[in-house]
Amino acid sequence: MGIVYRLTLRQLSGRWRLVIMTLLAAMPVVIAVLMLRSASAPSVQQFETAIVSAMLAGSIAPLIVLAIAAPAFGNEVEDKTLANLVLSPIARSQIALPKLLAAITIAAPFIVASAFATSYVAFLGDTTATIAVTVAAVIGVAMYASAFVWLGLVSTQAIGVGLLYIVLWEGLFSGYVSGVRLLSIRHYSIALMHGLDERRFAFSNHLNFPATLIIAALVVVGSAFLSVRRLRSMDVP
Amino acid sequence: MISIATPVIRVNAVSRWFGSVVAVSDVTFDIGPGITGLLGPNGAGKTTLLRMMTGLADTSTGSVTMFGEPVRDNPPLYKRIGVMSEHETVYGFMSGRDFVRTMARLRGVTDLEKAVDRAIGLVDLADAQHRQMDTYSRGMRQRIRLAGTLVHDPEVLILDEPLNGADPRQRVHFKRLLLQLAAEGRTIVLSSHILEEVEEVAETVLLIVNGKLAASGGFRAIRAALNQRPYHVRVMCDAPRTLAAAVVGLPGVDAVHVDPDGAVVVLSRNVLDLQLELPRLAQLDGISLRRVEPLDDSLESVFGYLVER
Repeated sequence: MGIVYRLTLRQLSGRWRLVIMTLLAAMPVVIAVLMLRSASAPSVQQFETAIVSAMLAGSIAPLIVLAIAAPAFGNEVEDKTLANLVLSPIARSQIALPKLLAAITIAAPFIVASAFATSYVAFLGDTTATIAVTVAAVIGVAMYASAFVWLGLVSTQAIGVGLLYIVLWEGLFSGYVSGVRLLSIRHYSIALMHGLDERRFAFSNHLNFPATLIIAALVVVGSAFLSVRRLRSMDVP
Repeated sequence: MISIATPVIRVNAVSRWFGSVVAVSDVTFDIGPGITGLLGPNGAGKTTLLRMMTGLADTSTGSVTMFGEPVRDNPPLYKRIGVMSEHETVYGFMSGRDFVRTMARLRGVTDLEKAVDRAIGLVDLADAQHRQMDTYSRGMRQRIRLAGTLVHDPEVLILDEPLNGADPRQRVHFKRLLLQLAAEGRTIVLSSHILEEVEEVAETVLLIVNGKLAASGGFRAIRAALNQRPYHVRVMCDAPRTLAAAVVGLPGVDAVHVDPDGAVVVLSRNVLDLQLELPRLAQLDGISLRRVEPLDDSLESVFGYLVER
């Protein structure tokens, strides 16, 4: 299991990929600083809506995770090296789970650093709020990663399909159609953040915290299960 | 159909189709220890068949078993099987040795470094083992992939076009290695679209044409069948009609005609005899031969002939 994990870490840590991830992760921090330095600094609610919810949870985090998690299998399918793993005497779960873990290992530090720095700056050092945003972001990474790892196995256009999902489903529909929020990773992350610091985010209408925790676990476990199942049934190129 | 008392690999009524395209159609054979050549022109269905034999692809109908167990979705079986696919992609960021070591770890090899040394030694790549694989030539990549296939000392080897990119010296080395591995009692399936490549090592041949098993058996029997087939030979010379009149009387010649461009096309059942007689006849009649070429020596025509018989 460790060998698949280490192999995936090496495959996914290309220099250019890491540079682009760093730039993406830095964007919310830079914008937060600029907003706070402007003459009309936004309220906590405005900041939470524009930066934490829309930008960090709805765009930056899923984009970073997509760029890392979808190629975990997608690149191996494309360059036909997946057979090296599948032709080994190891259970399919011992291929899919280390891949997922490796994708989270690489994506999480970017998102954690970005979420921590952005919320620390924006909430003026409020530790509880900063931890709430950061922890919610980590759980969000796990949910997005498990979904995108699976996507890399089922579609040869995983990046394109993932982008459409982020822009249309998480960005557009979940913002305007309230029912979509019940099926949105972005809104699960936000609900977790709200649940972790109800004092700071008391103004928000959000999903029930314990229920969201269970849903988050279901998303991660369910997607991982689908990846294992797909790996068992697919024709490997 | 080849039937072996205790087959290592059993392919039973296997078909595979993709939409309306039938890639493999109702193929049945058994494979025992030794080297079996899987021959067929490009696009015949060899790779699809091999992918089903290794469990990488599912069958539409029929079954594939190895050591009596189903191959598909049976990971523990891969301890006993080594597969080298046709794809030449490697992890370019790794050194050759790292790659073989990774394959050994994946296959649960215990005495790791010893097994890696042995596998790299077998493919004669010790000098380049520490170089990054993206600096390897095509032939070197094939050899290191073969080392990765052999590192866990498998009982069954399935090799899809393993000689692609190999130079003549490497080919000789590879053939010796295959014979050595077979002598140790392994079951080896070697796929190729080049007749001669398989002829030198395989004891048994499976001919796949248009997704069907066209012929199977010992190589001599297959070769004899091939030698009996009629060949078209095209001859360019300065007196085509004179040559045509002389050639038509040769034994084994079924037909002769002169093309509008002046080429003499001979249909012969004894091409060896024709090769010897043509220069003699030309010299006798003072004809200058410019070019002699077989028209249908491609594998497609060879296999086509065997299928039609």
